Amino acid sequence: MRVDLILELLDIPGQLVNILSPISGFGANLVTVIHRRDDKNDDGMIPVQITLEGEQESLIQCIDKLKEMKVTILEINGVVSKEKIRTILIGHVIDTDIRNTLDRINKLKEAFIVNLEIKLSDENESSAMLVIETDYGMKDIVFSKIQEIANEKSLLVVNEV
Amino acid sequence: MRICLIGFGAVGQGVVKAISLKKRDIKNKFNMDLKVVGVSDSSGSAINPGGLDEDLLLDIKSKTSKVSNYPKYGNSAIQGIGLLDNIDYDCLIEATPTNIETGEPAKSLTLKAFKDKKDVVTSNKGHLALFYNEIINKSKENNVKFKFEASVGGAMPIINFSKKTLASSKIESIIGILNGTTNFILSRMTSEGSSYKNTLEESQVLGIAETDPSQDVEGIDAACKTVILANSILGIDCVYDDIEIKGISNITSEAIELAKKEGYLIKLIAEVSKDNLKVAPRLVKKNSPYAVEGTLNMATLKTDLADDVTVIGKGAGSLETASAILTDLINIGKLKN
Repeated sequence: MRVDLILELLDIPGQLVNILSPISGFGANLVTVIHRRDDKNDDGMIPVQITLEGEQESLIQCIDKLKEMKVTILEINGVVSKEKIRTILIGHVIDTDIRNTLDRINKLKEAFIVNLEIKLSDENESSAMLVIETDYGMKDIVFSKIQEIANEKSLLVVNEV
Repeated sequence: MRICLIGFGAVGQGVVKAISLKKRDIKNKFNMDLKVVGVSDSSGSAINPGGLDEDLLLDIKSKTSKVSNYPKYGNSAIQGIGLLDNIDYDCLIEATPTNIETGEPAKSLTLKAFKDKKDVVTSNKGHLALFYNEIINKSKENNVKFKFEASVGGAMPIINFSKKTLASSKIESIIGILNGTTNFILSRMTSEGSSYKNTLEESQVLGIAETDPSQDVEGIDAACKTVILANSILGIDCVYDDIEIKGISNITSEAIELAKKEGYLIKLIAEVSKDNLKVAPRLVKKNSPYAVEGTLNMATLKTDLADDVTVIGKGAGSLETASAILTDLINIGKLKN
């Protein structure tokens, strides 16, 4: 059987080899590879479509290994599995224990912060952009939990629509 | 159709200007005679059962600020609700300023007109945001027409559009930019990299933001419109206090810069759905339908059959808002003919 995966990889030489080497021992064959360079994002990441062929068990092992290696799998057989969502926190983001804020978001089963950028403004206030990878369809739940944390810390949340 | 206009500020004057510009076309197209028989502002009124001259009304108001100075028919003793007892008319155009504390004088004027079996067209939001169901029920009890397209989005068609053009579809949610002032401020902060404070001051100098900008920047105006859309389009029974409101006054230029870097813009977004009634600054993608600039308003209606439908239009402006009022008048006239 075959499985089509869309992975998100950094568009530099050797990235695909790096992630395929660990799964080469599971008995699956790589049938096609398409690098979608037209869809490169601002972080230099591109979707890479691969098709693997093999026994069901081998294919499951391959997918599990990719997940273990924290490779972003955007789609499995056309089904969107991950999405990146963005939110900005404004206020005393640092003084209200930013480590705690990030840990609490990362502890959510559905969410993982993949990028954080902070800019300081006046009076110790700051603005922080969080890019969060989440399971597809979990956006509203993740945002509502972030809102809870922000309310507790008197931060303004600017969530993605 | 004999029209009584109460409130002769920017919107009221726009209505009179629009009638002056369009009455011949309206007569030819719809066989409808629009005649302004009474106008009231805070100085008094002008009353003529035979019809007031629209251009003269505008001229007197612009030169003296008082409609009561209208030659021969001006009257400083009668104004506001008093006018309704001193004139025979068919439709009240209620264009007084929005009052979100009490909904007055719009509520009393509207209910009085209903009681007198008169139709009402309004651009006002306050009374609708506070007493939507009460007012609608009174219009039904009295078997009169009540239309308020201009109260949401100015010239942007949304209420009539949803009810008539999208009649086959169920509207599941509405997400949009319902306040032009905040959209202008956030658009300028994005293009110029300026601070909120400086951009607000610039908007005040340009006459886009009010001297007291709180109704706009704190999301109050957009929340009133959210109530109106929720009740009138989605059938959600709610009032102003049910809306979760966050304004834009804490948005920093740094936050806008961070958003820009990720390919996003910050907009004050109203969300109307069964699960969410809120106004808050949100991130929207550049190049998405939400990325409208300047004072424009927009709304995306999510429907069951037609999928997403987006409308965009000028959310404020004297003649633009008047266009929606005039359309409501024509629609009432068509129903009566």
